[in-house]
Amino acid sequence: MKRKLLSVLLSTAMTAALLTGCGGGAAQPAADAGDAAKEATETTEAVEEATEATEEVAEAADAVEEAAEEEIPTSTFGDPNGTHLEMWTFVELHGQHYGKMAEIWNEKNPDKAIEITCTTYPYGDMHTKLLTSLEAGTGAPDICDVEVGQFPNVVAGLDQWLIPLDDYCKDYMPTMVPARMETYQGEDGHYYGAPYHVGATAMFYNVAAMAEAMGISNDEVIKKIDSVVTWDDYVKLGEEYKAAIGDESKFWTSVDTGGTDWLWLAMAENGDDWTGGFEGPANCKLDSVKNMLTMQQDWLKSGLAMISPDGHVDLEAGFQNIMDKNIVSFPKALWYMSRFTNYMPEEKGNWYIAKCPVFKEGQKCSVGIGGTGTVVTAQSANTDLAAEFLCWAKMSDEGEQNIWDTLGFDVCNTAMWTQDSFAHDDNNQFNAFFINYPYDVLSSIGMDNIGKISVVAISPTINEYVCTTTLNEVLEDPDYSVDDALQELQDAVDMEQ
Amino acid sequence: MKSKNFLYSQKVAPYIFVLPFILSFAIFWIYPLITAFTMSFQDIGAIKSDWVGLANYTKLLKDKVFMIAVSNSAKYMFFTLVLLIPFPMLFAVLMDSNIVKAKGVWKAILYMPALTSVVISGTLFRLMFTEYKTGQMNLISQALGFGTYKWLKNGWSGMLALLVVACWRWTGVNMLYFLSGLKAIDTSLYEAADIDGASAIQKFRYVTLPLLKPTTVYVLTISVYAGLSMFLESYMLWAGNSSPNNIGLTIVGYLYKRGIEKNDMGYACAVGVVLLVVALIINFVQLILNGTFKKEED
Amino acid sequence: MNKQKDLSHSPKRILFTVLGTGFYALLCAIIAFPLLAGLLASFRPGTELIRRGLSIDLDFSTMTLNNYKYLFGGNVDSQKYFMWYKNSLIITLVSVVLTLFICYFVAYGLTMYNFPLQNVLFTLVIATMMVPFEILMLPMYKEIIALHLIDTYTGVIITGLCSASTIFFFRQYLGGLPKDLLSAARIDGANEYYISVKIILPLTKPAFASMGILCAMGAWNSILWPLLVLKGAEKFTLPIGLNTLLTPYGNNYDVLIAGSMFGILPIFVIFLLFQRYIIDGMTAGAVKG
Repeated sequence: MKRKLLSVLLSTAMTAALLTGCGGGAAQPAADAGDAAKEATETTEAVEEATEATEEVAEAADAVEEAAEEEIPTSTFGDPNGTHLEMWTFVELHGQHYGKMAEIWNEKNPDKAIEITCTTYPYGDMHTKLLTSLEAGTGAPDICDVEVGQFPNVVAGLDQWLIPLDDYCKDYMPTMVPARMETYQGEDGHYYGAPYHVGATAMFYNVAAMAEAMGISNDEVIKKIDSVVTWDDYVKLGEEYKAAIGDESKFWTSVDTGGTDWLWLAMAENGDDWTGGFEGPANCKLDSVKNMLTMQQDWLKSGLAMISPDGHVDLEAGFQNIMDKNIVSFPKALWYMSRFTNYMPEEKGNWYIAKCPVFKEGQKCSVGIGGTGTVVTAQSANTDLAAEFLCWAKMSDEGEQNIWDTLGFDVCNTAMWTQDSFAHDDNNQFNAFFINYPYDVLSSIGMDNIGKISVVAISPTINEYVCTTTLNEVLEDPDYSVDDALQELQDAVDMEQ
Repeated sequence: MKSKNFLYSQKVAPYIFVLPFILSFAIFWIYPLITAFTMSFQDIGAIKSDWVGLANYTKLLKDKVFMIAVSNSAKYMFFTLVLLIPFPMLFAVLMDSNIVKAKGVWKAILYMPALTSVVISGTLFRLMFTEYKTGQMNLISQALGFGTYKWLKNGWSGMLALLVVACWRWTGVNMLYFLSGLKAIDTSLYEAADIDGASAIQKFRYVTLPLLKPTTVYVLTISVYAGLSMFLESYMLWAGNSSPNNIGLTIVGYLYKRGIEKNDMGYACAVGVVLLVVALIINFVQLILNGTFKKEED
Repeated sequence: MNKQKDLSHSPKRILFTVLGTGFYALLCAIIAFPLLAGLLASFRPGTELIRRGLSIDLDFSTMTLNNYKYLFGGNVDSQKYFMWYKNSLIITLVSVVLTLFICYFVAYGLTMYNFPLQNVLFTLVIATMMVPFEILMLPMYKEIIALHLIDTYTGVIITGLCSASTIFFFRQYLGGLPKDLLSAARIDGANEYYISVKIILPLTKPAFASMGILCAMGAWNSILWPLLVLKGAEKFTLPIGLNTLLTPYGNNYDVLIAGSMFGILPIFVIFLLFQRYIIDGMTAGAVKG
């Protein structure tokens, strides 16, 4: 530690010395100029020099920087003699995943050893930098994480920017959740991104709070939850809870004005997709969306639901709302589990995960939300190796095991879901946190019951209008006509297509 | 000898002084400016781009969301001018007087907000303005018996939040400009005014205000652009670029939305060009009226 | 209404002093509030921030030094933090010193002479201030690649050296100085460059000081351009590094808040060093000399 501080101080001092050197350089000619009568020439040269010095000093700064570098904490993993790959991400843990995978890869493939440098950039700026370098045709990494919302911009470049992964992932395809692979398809039908997780949406229930309010045991509460199949059942259970707790400020669930999760779920259950996929056109005036919004308006009016503070449950106020037990159930993708472990440790042992209710029995009951697709760029010098490594790191048994252990995601390779050592490992922090095993819920949903909403060029327009306008109109004023709101949405979307 | 004299002549010296700017402009500005300008007449695709003439601009005129952004930015600019020029100026004059003790402490505290990164200050203010009951704004309103309020979901309170952040961050900085401007005023002028028996208000009106004008013009000019181009504060306050009913959307926020989030650089450049033109017009009118372009009479 | 300078102990005078000082105390209390809240939060675990919101109560039971211990703990994160810190310091110091001098000279040329291109150049200076950087980003990035300055600090610093707002501020400041200084010096036989450095520059200390603080602030907090130019975590600046802690997958408040609070320090030191010079200036009647 002390050495670090010292090196900081030292480098500051060095820079300062450098600068005074520069300052001296500038002052010197000035003094000379004072003796203008004697030697006038130097002044002009000095001014010119000062301009040139600009660059020199800046270069010197680079040099100082390099000199001061000792044992820099890099994020480079693997075999220094192996093929070098560069990887960008916006979540440090993702980088560490690849680092660990690179080491396992090198053990298994000594002939194709790699060394990988993972750089974590700030979220928004990483995508800006990636797009800028793809457009400029130079500077892109070999492998890059792309958040699903940003994916349409990146996949627009198709095989001119990215490497199709079809050939590299075909061995894993039979057991991969198809909806997730399709999320990262390009317009040409090729797969360009490798997924981390399904992001399957499930219902989270606060069993402990419900049991306390209703004066029954946890097991009895779970029995009641398990018997919920349709939204009507869900509402009935909610009313039972509301009646038991008898507190105006406690609600069954919260509805989002700043997120589309509920609407995606409704669409997936009815097999709808407002984007219309690549063929388009987008149609937002869907019955599934209308029914969900109308139902939520009823909940708000009857006091069953509240509006999520600050817009959705995945924000500080949302976490507080959950911990204050103002709501005891909500649907969210399974990656929300890590929010519990990171931000709500006191909730350990209270929560139960179950399938989402459906409108009609037999419908799909989940939808994949969120996610990050990892791409291989066409600028890579080793596309073949990069793509092979990427698909292995994200789809193989070893890869999926590490994703679950370190990132806590619901992995896309369904072959893992039923493996006892994987799904029921009590050492896994997520298995330990919740009352039931998350993968049991996933298996009971089944890969074919997880719907998909396309993320295409029009998606940002729809999401944005829904989150800024539609949901605020309909939910902040539960008497607002849902039809009118959806018509406005459609008009705004039509402007763009 | 002649070439030396040439470089020393009063005719040539100014060009040598401004040379760095000319070089920097030629190297780093001309190409990007022209590129951005031409891009605003194109539909920039990932693989190929097409000329679309004025299509981006005509679309802009019909774009309701853009109009919301313009109106938000204009309002924000107006209020920041009202709040962040007269008050910091008065604060600076007060600070410069001899009736304030412990000046160093106050100045240090006033500049602190500007030194804090927007990332952290935005997060702090977002937590203070949260609609949940633990936010400081709601603690205050609850204490006053009004209950909780959705500060960041309503137009007026959203703008209030933005202005609070702006005042918090920039009061100290603008005061700093005025303080250094005050130091350029010859103290003998005040002594002369004292001898003439001028009151404090008269001194402010007839000595301070006119002689502070160059600084005021400077603060005005940068505030016009800073107001019109505000983005980060809004981004941090709403934890992203989407605010309910676009109450926090600004011109640059919209540019960012189009250019970065939807990767439609052509349209984004059109937005940028409009912003440039608007800011230039306002500032040139203002600078000309203030006589900033007048050459010194020798 | 005559304010008598000598009566420094008159009751009226004391009242004014109390009011004036009291006003600043109040203003600063309001301004300091969010900072205090941030400072307190930096002594609490991130989960506490989420549990109770931004709390300003002085409940010591929930306060720990863990965030700072972690930050200074010599682990990988702390090594990175100080590496970014150092990088930011270097970039900031170099660019501030260069920017100040270059902008001073440009402004000097624009203000102290009458020459044909004067207003054209001044117009360009104003215009470059009004262009949103987002639309220049891509072409500027291509230029930096073409100049082989990508991934160097030179590339980060060089595009901002001729800062238009700094030039403008110096111009406004220099315009307020009496012109007879120049003619007097010329009559004495001093050449143009000598005058600019030895006679005028010392008079602009307050401007140098305030622009120094401003440029340092800008350089210390700038993020988008350094991020485009630099590659690899070992070259990152502090704001880039801290921003990586905010992700759509959850924010790391523990390190973020403590890191940001400690990140104010160097820029605050720069401020303290510079602000003394704002007090100098023309008070001593340097002009008359």
